[in-house]
Formats: sequence, C-alpha cells, structure tokens
Amino acid sequence: MEDIRDLVAFNVDDGYIEALVRGYKSSLLTSIDYVNLTQCETLEDVRMHLNGTEYSTVLQDEPSPLSPSVIAEKCSAKLVLDFQYIRSQSTYPLTKFLDYLTYPYMIDNLVLLVTGTLHERDIGELLEKCNPLGTFPAMSTLSIVSTPEELYREILIDTPLAPYFAECVSFDDLTERNIEIIRNVLYKAYLEDFYQFCKKIGGTTEKMMCEILQFEADRRTINITLNSLGSKLSREERENLYPSIGSLVPEGTWKLARAEDVQSVHSILESYDLFRRLLQSSADNPGKSLEDAFIEYEVQLSKKTFEQQFHYGVFYGFLKLREQEIRNILWICECISQRHRSGISNYVTIF
Amino acid sequence: MASSGGGGGDRLQVVPSRMTLTQIKGRLSGANKGHSMLKKKSDALTVRLRSILKQVLERKNQSGDLCREALISLAVAKYIVGEEFKVHILENVDKSSLKVSFHSENIAGVTIPLFDKVSMDQDSTEEYEKDTNDGGGVSNQGLSNHQFHSFVSLSGLSKGGQQIATCSENFRKAADNLISLAELQTCFTLLDEAVKVTNRRVNALENVVIPRLENTVAYIISELDELEREEFFRLKLVQNWKERESKSAQEERERLERTSQGFSSFESVPQRVVDGLTLNEEDSDIIF
Amino acid sequence: MQSHTKTKQTKLLSVIGDEDTVCGFLLAGIGEVSQNKETNYFIVKKDTPVSAIEETFKRFTSREDIAVVIINQFVAEKIRELVHSYRAPIPAVLEIPSKDQPYDLSQDSTVKRVRQMLGLGA
Repeated sequence: MEDIRDLVAFNVDDGYIEALVRGYKSSLLTSIDYVNLTQCETLEDVRMHLNGTEYSTVLQDEPSPLSPSVIAEKCSAKLVLDFQYIRSQSTYPLTKFLDYLTYPYMIDNLVLLVTGTLHERDIGELLEKCNPLGTFPAMSTLSIVSTPEELYREILIDTPLAPYFAECVSFDDLTERNIEIIRNVLYKAYLEDFYQFCKKIGGTTEKMMCEILQFEADRRTINITLNSLGSKLSREERENLYPSIGSLVPEGTWKLARAEDVQSVHSILESYDLFRRLLQSSADNPGKSLEDAFIEYEVQLSKKTFEQQFHYGVFYGFLKLREQEIRNILWICECISQRHRSGISNYVTIF
Repeated sequence: MASSGGGGGDRLQVVPSRMTLTQIKGRLSGANKGHSMLKKKSDALTVRLRSILKQVLERKNQSGDLCREALISLAVAKYIVGEEFKVHILENVDKSSLKVSFHSENIAGVTIPLFDKVSMDQDSTEEYEKDTNDGGGVSNQGLSNHQFHSFVSLSGLSKGGQQIATCSENFRKAADNLISLAELQTCFTLLDEAVKVTNRRVNALENVVIPRLENTVAYIISELDELEREEFFRLKLVQNWKERESKSAQEERERLERTSQGFSSFESVPQRVVDGLTLNEEDSDIIF
Repeated sequence: MQSHTKTKQTKLLSVIGDEDTVCGFLLAGIGEVSQNKETNYFIVKKDTPVSAIEETFKRFTSREDIAVVIINQFVAEKIRELVHSYRAPIPAVLEIPSKDQPYDLSQDSTVKRVRQMLGLGA
C-alpha cells in the first residue's frame, strides 16, 4: 500500500531532486579514475586527473604547492555546496530528512566547541574548523560565549540537538563527564531518533534506511566495545552508549557489554551472519582492519539505495558515497605525498 | 756553543739565577705531566665521541623511518575517522604524559646528562614507567595501550579507535626513539665541546706553555754559562797579565843580573823578584 | 601529581612542525598547556611567517622546562642559520621528516657536524 503511495506521490515533491542526486551519483569517480589517480607521481598530477572529473573546477584556483588536506578540503566544499543546493530545493518531509543527515556533523561541531570553551580556546578559531555541513544558526553568535554554562544556556538549547541534550546530558555532565562519552550519548540519541523518523515516513524509505541505520548502530556498538576494552570505561557506562536499535539488540549488546577481550567479542559476533562475513574478510587480508570491512559494507549499502526508486535513502547513500570518495582521494594524496606506494590501493572503490 | 738559543724564543721575564732555574724546572715538569694527562683525557673523550657519532647517524636514520611510519598511520587514522579528529586532539591537550627526566654519567670528568623517558598516566597518579631503551617489549604493550586511552580521552570510541591507537603507539615509539637520539645528541654536543676545550688546553701546553718554559730554562742555563765563562775569561786574563808581569820581571832580573855581573848594585833587585814571586803564589791560590 | 615520580625534575618535549606532525606527537602524549595558555607545540602553516618560527624556536630553546625540541626538517630549513648556530646541549634540537616534503638527512645540522667530524665531508 505504502509503496504505491510512494510511486504516485513521490515525484510531485521530490522527483527533481532525486534525479539530481542520481545525476551526481553517476559522476562519482570510477575504478578507472582511481587507478589513474594511483599512478600519479605528484599532487600536481592528481590535480590534472581530477580536472577530468566532476572536481574539475575545484582545484583550479589553488596556488601551487598543493597539500592533501587542501585537496580534501576543496572536495568537501564541493560536497557541501551540492548538498546545500539539494536541501534548498527540498520540501517537507525530505527537508527534515536531510536535516537529520546533518546532525552527526552538528554533534561533532558542538562537541568541538564545548571542548574549546572548556579549555577556554578562541572560539573564532574553532568555528573555522567546524564542519560546514553541521552549521547551525546560533553558531555565529558563539563568539560571545565565554563559559560552558553560557554555552549550555544560550546556544545548545537553540540547536536542533537540544532534545538530545535535554534527554541525556545535564549541565553538570558537560563539565564533568568525558566529552567523548557525551558525544556518543548524543549520537546514540540521534540514531534512535532518526530511526523513528524513518519508520514514520514508511515505505521504501523505511526499508532502506532502517537497514542502514541498524548497521550503523551495530557498527557503533561493536566499535565502542572494541575500543573500550582495557580502558577506564565501566561496563555500565559502555552499555549505556549502545544504541537501542540494530540487529545486535538485545542479546548481542547484552553479551558485548560483558565482553572482556577481543577474542570474546569476536566469538559473540560469530553468531551473526553479516559480522562473521566481515570478520572473515578482514582476517583473510592482512592489512585490512575490521574498520575497513565496515566501510566496505557501508559503501555496499549506500550503493544499494540507488537500486530502488522513490525513496529518501538515495540522499543518504549519495552523501556517504561522496564522503567515502573524498576519503579515498585524501588517502591517495597522502600516499603520494608521503611516497607510501605500498599502501596506496587500500581505498574502497565505489563503482 | 748554545749561547744564542736563550734570547731567540718566547720566554718568561725572569732573573737568571740558580734559584729561578729550579723553580722553572719544577713548573716545566708540572706542565709536562698535565699535558700527558690531558692528552689521555682527550683520547678517552674522542674514543667515546667516535662511538657516539656512529650511533647518532644510525639513530637519525631510524628515527626518520619511524616518523614516516607514524605519519602513515596518522593518514590511516585520518582515512577512517576523517580530518576532524586532529582538531579534537589539538583541543584536548592538557598535561603532558610523556616527559623526560635526567641522570648523569661521568666520562673522563665530563658530566653527561642521560635522558629517561617518563610516562605518566593522567588518571592514576601511580603509573610510572622508566625505560631508557625502547626494547621494553611485550610487557610494555599493555601499559602503553592503557595509557593511550586515558590520554586521548576515548577519542575515536565509536570509529577508528584502533587506528588512532596504532597511530598513537607509533608516534610514541617515534618519540621514544627521538628521546634516545636527543640523549646521544646532547652527549655528542657536550663531548664535542669537552674535546675541543681539552684539545685547546693540550695544544696550549704543547705549543705555548711548555716551549716557553723550555726556552726560559735554556735561557737561564745559557745565561749562567755565560756568566761562568765571563768569570773564567776574566780570571784567565788576570792570570795572563800576571804571567806577563812575572815574565817581564824575570827579564828585568836577568837583565839586572847580567848587568850586575858587569856592575855592582846587587842587593836591591833580588828583593823585588822575591816580592813578585810571592804575589804570584798568592794569585795561583785564588785561581785554582 | 608529579611529586610521586621521584623528586627528580622532569622536562617536556616540544614540537615545531606541520599540523599532522604536531597532532601525532600530541597523540603520543607530549603536549602540555600551562596555566597561562603557553603551549609546548607550534603548528607551522603555509602562511606562517618565518619570524614567528624563529621567535618560537628561540622561545622553546630558552625555556627551562624543555629538554627536546622536535622540528620538521622543512621548518628547520626556513631557519637554517638559527638551527645551525644553535649549539647548546639542552634542549636538544632534533630534525625529523615531514609528510609531504622529501627528507634529506645530509641537510640536518647535527648530521652535517657529525659527518664533518668523521671526515666524510660536509
């Protein structure tokens, strides 16, 4: 039923942008582009090759000694531009959906700003370092804020993240608890909220996005477990950071919260088909971490969004693929500039 | 003979006397002893310096490789986590957890500070690890991993934690290596300086002080000789003069004798001859 | 907190370099921000004036609490005269490679001196 509604009504509001995104998608770098890039000797060669792709205009005006960060930065700027264009063309509920996509960046930015204020750094400098995708209106007024308390009272409650903050972070937490924990608590709240939102939209969007978000949640759960092994994070704290969605819930997360070493984490994951496969693939190739396997799978999921029509997943997929692409470019550039030939092909080809 | 040597070289302004001669000779032997000791010190330092030089070059190469490796792992972390994580690291700096303390070693009288790596865990104050060479091995692993977490304050908890850990680990290794390199380099600089100072002293002794003292000794000796010779010459002169005197007296006497054989005035002349002879006898006592 | 670690004085390491190098060493835990916001690291960006680098180098090398100054070679190259004429044993100045500039060991001030002494030519 809902699928039919999608079919009938989708194009009314969102047809144009979906087409646009599909257009963007087809301009993503292909494996041939990547092979060409890896053949480059210098960053100038990279610039030349990128001139033949969608990034043609990006590096035109850059003065000559290029650095990997500059290239990545410019490519990201293009992504931001494209994304903002899409967003400006959208209508509710797609607008809301796209907003959701920017929240993770917003969380990162906020965490950064909070850290900065706690350490009494110059806010103006920090603002430059913020991810432009995660900007929020109140950000420009941040420079007047000097104490964490003010930050909390004046700024945080005006951001779209306010409900997450209100739910799980009190002002005292802000100064006392580890900032990384706050970040993860926020992210957890965000994932759960986004998941609910996608469910509400329903249809293909729900199907697509729920799978992706569940995977994202599982990935976080596993990573948090692995990374907190041997750290001062207590078991309860760890469990609190696990998102309540995902295929690992409830049994897997319960077990993972109690895992003590890498070995037991692996054996817990063995009983899940997907993660067994991912673990296997990282075990098979030396030099490939589980993280790399996750990234590969994420790319697969993102690509899958383009296989169906009339849903919002494509926007998510597009954003993730573009991000991955920029990471690939950054990696290749880093390898070239550091003359690290042996590892240069450790990127994830998209198409 | 060696009479001109005394005035030619650089020498001390002294009154040439037997006493100053003994003084100067004492100083000369002191200088010679000092010279040989300093020479030994300089040799010892040079040996040490040479061995360090090799190590410095090796370490330099090694640290270059380690740094490059560390930078690559940073790139890996950036690839997984994204550029932003750098910003978080920059913003989270508070108290250093890797420091250096010193203890000193003595090489031939030169104090060399040796660097000790000191790792401090921020949360548990007791954590204290001292490890001069980075061959800490396996037992080190767990500890530094643990330290990493408290330092980086769980960054990359949800993403790329391992990569950041590897990166941190690599940079720590690089830092350890750099600390030992710094130790060598400090050692090198100090020894270099010490060798230079010592050599300068050795050279000063060898080329200035000792020759000067030697010249002075030669000067005094030659001066004393000169005096002696002068005295001798003077006495000789006097002797010659006396001889001549006596000879002329003799001739006088003979002439007088001859004339006395002809004439009569006998008495007065032998009296004078006796006078001259006694004089002569007294003189010879003084001379010999 | 440091009183536990013997009464011995401990000193800091410091870094002057590009963002990546500095970040890496901060990750290793050498960073320290003092009460009055003085840092023991300095990030050299493309547009950082040489005078600022010089000033930082002088400041770091004259600070009592610093034992080692780690500096990227390309940065050292900009203030070569200063680095080369720096002869004090502590803090020790160490040149390390940076990620995108080629690393030439023979440019290193210490290496130059060492090679000279070994008679390998400067």
